[in-house]
Amino acid sequence: MEAKGEAGSDEFSGRLGLIFATIGAAIGTGNIWRFPRMVGANGGGSFLVPWLIFLFLWSVPLIIAEFALGKRSRTGTVGTFRIFAGNRFAWMGLWTAWISTAIGFYYAVVTGWCINYFQTAVRGGLGSEVDTVQVWNDFLQDPSQVIFFQTLSVLITMAAIWKGAKAIEKVNVTLMVSLFILLFAALFLSFVMDLDDGTLDGFIYMFSIQPEYLTQPETWINGLSQSAWSCSAGMGMAITYSVYMRKDEDTTLNAATMCLANNSISIIAGLTVMMAVFSVSDDPLGAVSGGSSAITFLVLPEVFAQAPGGPVVQLLMVTMFFLALSFAALTSMISTVELCVRNFVDHGIERKKAVGFTTLAIFLFGLPSAALWILVDPDTGVAFPQFLEVQDHIWGYGLMFSGLFIAYSIWKYGWNRYRVWQDENDITGFSFRDYLDNGVSSFRDDFINTGDNDWWIGKWWDYIMYLGFPIMFGVLILSYFSDLILNVNNPWDPTNADGITIILLFWGITAGLFVSMNKYILVNRVLSMNGTIWPPSWDLEPRPLYRNVPVGAEVSIDTLPGGEDPFIVEVGESLPETFVNEYGETQTHTLHQLPWSSQS
Amino acid sequence: MAGSNKETSQNFVSNPRRIPAMALLMPLMLSVLAPVSLIAPVDAQESDSGMAPEDIWSEEYSNQIFPWGGNDRLQFREYHDYFTMKDRMQQLADQNGDIMSFHEGLVGGVNARGQEMGTDDYEGWYYNHASPWIKMTGGGEELEGVSGGDCNVFVGDCGNYEELPDVMLVGNHHAREWMSYEVPMLFLETVAYYYGMAGVDNDGDGLIDEDGWDGIDNDGDCLRLNSSYQDSNGDGIPCGPGDLGVDEDFSEQFITDMVNTREIYLIPMLNVDGNRYDREEYCGESAWESCYRSGWRKNLRDNTVTGVTPLPDIDEQVDPTCDGVDLNRNYQYEWGAPLGATGPLFPGMCYAGEAGANNDVYNGPVDTVDQDEDGRLNEDHVDGKDDDADGLTDEDWLGGNSEPETKFIQDMTEMNDDNGDGSSEFKSTLTWHSYSELVLWPWGHCQDCDNPDQEFLEYHGNLMGDMTAYAPMQSSDLYPTTGDFCDWHYGVHDSYCYTMEIGIAFHEFPEDIAHTAVRNLGVPFYMIEIADDPRYRAVVGIENTTASQWLASPDLVSVPSNGEIPIDFCLDSTFPYTTNMTYTHLMWRFVEPTRQQDDFGPTEWITVPWKMSGFVDVGNSCELLDGSNGTVLQAQIPVPDSSVGKIHYKAMLGTTNGAFPFSYPTVEEGPNYYELSVPYRASFGSAVLALLMFSLIATMVWGGLGYTLKEMFNDERDVLGLPPEMRNLEEA
Repeated sequence: MEAKGEAGSDEFSGRLGLIFATIGAAIGTGNIWRFPRMVGANGGGSFLVPWLIFLFLWSVPLIIAEFALGKRSRTGTVGTFRIFAGNRFAWMGLWTAWISTAIGFYYAVVTGWCINYFQTAVRGGLGSEVDTVQVWNDFLQDPSQVIFFQTLSVLITMAAIWKGAKAIEKVNVTLMVSLFILLFAALFLSFVMDLDDGTLDGFIYMFSIQPEYLTQPETWINGLSQSAWSCSAGMGMAITYSVYMRKDEDTTLNAATMCLANNSISIIAGLTVMMAVFSVSDDPLGAVSGGSSAITFLVLPEVFAQAPGGPVVQLLMVTMFFLALSFAALTSMISTVELCVRNFVDHGIERKKAVGFTTLAIFLFGLPSAALWILVDPDTGVAFPQFLEVQDHIWGYGLMFSGLFIAYSIWKYGWNRYRVWQDENDITGFSFRDYLDNGVSSFRDDFINTGDNDWWIGKWWDYIMYLGFPIMFGVLILSYFSDLILNVNNPWDPTNADGITIILLFWGITAGLFVSMNKYILVNRVLSMNGTIWPPSWDLEPRPLYRNVPVGAEVSIDTLPGGEDPFIVEVGESLPETFVNEYGETQTHTLHQLPWSSQS
Repeated sequence: MAGSNKETSQNFVSNPRRIPAMALLMPLMLSVLAPVSLIAPVDAQESDSGMAPEDIWSEEYSNQIFPWGGNDRLQFREYHDYFTMKDRMQQLADQNGDIMSFHEGLVGGVNARGQEMGTDDYEGWYYNHASPWIKMTGGGEELEGVSGGDCNVFVGDCGNYEELPDVMLVGNHHAREWMSYEVPMLFLETVAYYYGMAGVDNDGDGLIDEDGWDGIDNDGDCLRLNSSYQDSNGDGIPCGPGDLGVDEDFSEQFITDMVNTREIYLIPMLNVDGNRYDREEYCGESAWESCYRSGWRKNLRDNTVTGVTPLPDIDEQVDPTCDGVDLNRNYQYEWGAPLGATGPLFPGMCYAGEAGANNDVYNGPVDTVDQDEDGRLNEDHVDGKDDDADGLTDEDWLGGNSEPETKFIQDMTEMNDDNGDGSSEFKSTLTWHSYSELVLWPWGHCQDCDNPDQEFLEYHGNLMGDMTAYAPMQSSDLYPTTGDFCDWHYGVHDSYCYTMEIGIAFHEFPEDIAHTAVRNLGVPFYMIEIADDPRYRAVVGIENTTASQWLASPDLVSVPSNGEIPIDFCLDSTFPYTTNMTYTHLMWRFVEPTRQQDDFGPTEWITVPWKMSGFVDVGNSCELLDGSNGTVLQAQIPVPDSSVGKIHYKAMLGTTNGAFPFSYPTVEEGPNYYELSVPYRASFGSAVLALLMFSLIATMVWGGLGYTLKEMFNDERDVLGLPPEMRNLEEA
């Protein structure tokens, strides 16, 4: 509020703040439980090769793009797409926000699990004598407990983002630094454990290349998907946080730093898990690659309970691990909620209100994931949340399309610039050479290499965005769907929760809904002429979009589709009094007398 | 509205009512829709007594909808008639040309008795149709199919293999017994649909092959139903054969194996003439209304030789039922023996009026040919004995096999001689009749007379009785019959022959077709299974030797630290097992977690097709389950050391005479395979190379991170990667 009161805008205090916030968003449970599983299932060191390659082919370029988009648009995802892709495409921003929020619904539940495991560990409930399956089943099958910790995670998140960028930054710095320390300590203990049996086999497996795996497409696809998910590239998170960038902030080196930090943590967490499991388990790879969250909540407590150094060290280790996990989950949760909140704030809704009902919604819509359809796997007797799994199944890959939309707005910008250049130079007819020089590279020239950066981005980025990205996107989507077709019974049965039809159905309904609301809700507001919703007597007026531009960071958006829209204004600017409606008449805008300040 | 804008624009300001921006939250509702739009999956924990079929099974299975789709007739809600049945047989044979061929009657030639037979000799007297039939085989080990192997010119089929046992399945001897061709049709549909499949979840409950044909609800799913659903066929037996949830998830692999290792001769409607007459003239299309427990039984022989009117001549002065022959009294074994109640007083005689009460079982004319041309007529009747002590047996018979239909069975039996030894290939034969819910075996011609295989015939008969909840008994215990199909096959050709008396009426109501047919579906498969050596299987089954033998369960398997995994099989050394891999082998498949797991659900597995490994006698001994000593056979499962996952395995045990297969683990032991976890056994890699790789990764990731951080806070910095020409530009 303080920052807003003065300048009407909100920003991070500095570069470190931004870095920590984005790292916090990127690092999540995926680094800690998905990464070790991927390493285990894809041939150890063989997996690290594609994983690292795709870090530079997928994650870094996409994050750079997101930073560039957000820093220029200075709005959340909906506004960014409205400005960059034009009014007709604002729904793409809503899709991006929705996917993140939909994931947030159940992610809050998962965060609650982590917090619960932390407190159970503290209270000594994960000692060597307990049956971890029992602990897990007792917890998961008791809705009141699950919901309690889900509530807790939502409340913590709400508190963290209540006050905006500066608070987010503080929380993230604290949590991330603690996470590093905790993970390093756990890594050290793991190392001792693995060394204890004299082999260090967990370490060796994780860094041994098994050549046959490198020739299998699955290894590469999994490397790509891990890279894509783990850094949250394409999720819109970087767009959101770059809204709070200061005026001359770097966007490229930051992206690289963030992704590298994410992967650094993956390696540390991966090593911790692998070494611990290998030192204790008879069938370590079976345990690691056995799927699902089981490794975290079933295997690891068992493993840590056998750490050398007696009960105190064991308690310390399991506590540290689950605290680190909770922190990782919380910081991701924060970015998820902030992403949603930012979109509301952009449209003139007071931050506190937005935070309030976003967290309430995340809590309410997370309830089914917390308590519905808690089944028991007949093979293993382990409980699992079927509803939550279905949600993950449906929305997890929706992330891919958020990335595609980002790429689309870049392609579109390039093409528009080329047409403008043609007009300026009176050239007709398409020339590939000219398109490369004046279209393809224009996004990079105009928005990335702006002079603020510590790292100048070369043509390679264009190649990745124009060629590499569509190929990688296609491979990922195709492999995902063919995997479903081949390995799932009745994939086309719409009632099959693991099938394809259910995904396509939900995507289709969501996208259809978003596209159809684009005009009436995202870009325009519906006014009721007679004061009631029914009988309908409706009219449209442009929906104002308020950009969060810090002092001195004003940059022109004139070359962008959104630059021509008079109702896209900076926070603190007043709106035009009138607008021309779709019948060509001039009409008074209802909000012109209500400037931003009096609203908030 | 547009025109009024200017006037009302002031009102806009004073009275704007916004549609709340909360509308933005609309999509959130989607998440709430999710539980509604999904059908709740079966809760693995719930097993209360009040479930409805849809709670347990797929909607299709719950409504007994067969997976091959099609109209009511194909779904067994309506009877086939001769024409639609024949069309469907042809269609299925066309679609499954590798394992099925369609035929009508026989081609003919000189038969085993030296008679010149033409194609039309097998056509019905009146409508002139030959019985349609299907030959079915996968062609054994090489899977050469129904068009491979030897071709038989007389019979007209190919796909004859000396090593494959043959089995004959015959329906509708008696025209009015409509279920007796519907059951074979369901059998045919089942084979056509499931052949080549494996691991199908037939009932949609998430389990595979958990309830095979034995008349028992092995997986207990029927018992989980609310009691009002437990007797879906309404026969008064809850969760009995024919009820939903009983024997519903059979093994498709078994069907495939059976078709591949047998030659199956399926003749759904032997008595086409009679059946058409019953449907078209005697009872009509809706015979269940007009003739529920009556109808036309015989074929259409013109006994009164009027030869003018449709047969039987309804307007004849003599008893019209005097026309036609009861085909199941017309076979030659002990033909025409006077048995009172169910046979005419004198063989070959048809009486009009009151005296002709038994004309329904008229067994055909007395023979007038001196077959052995010794000048004496009918002096050595077919009964397995040399009645005239001339050194020849049964060479000059009294009568029987006089009809086109019975001649067809006779010549198919006698001319289908794959190994050329002159005896029948059909070790097991089955014929369907209705009604009475019975399983019958020879003899029929004598009462209180045991036959040499009494105990063994009883053994199989009782099993099939269990399978259907039909009463098993020797045929003559019901009532004596002479010249029936089974007496002839057993008496003359030493074939284990069974008669199924299906259902509770000749013309069942259409809504009873499906469940009645399902109830009888296991029987033909059982007859096919035992066709390799029914006598031997009965001996083994009775003595239960196979039950004391065991296949090593997972806790007895020690996975070596590298290489193939040995699986022991402990066998009774007196048991005539063979190590021929075709008959005896270990079947296994490797199941590993998918590489793309869901993050929150249970582990997902990739399943692969079954593979085979042969067994070798390794010369060790082991203890059988009954405590005696056994011999160890061992098979090796080749699994790469680097694989992690589970192995499913089971053993197929064949015997020296080709009986195939006894499978282990046995049905009593639960699921039909064992599951063994296999850990990663390969080396984890070299420490040196791992260190190198670690340094490389650490340099790139951690070093990279350090480098970018350093660059970030280096105020004297140069822009990384700036091309020289850009730098000049900047400086300028």
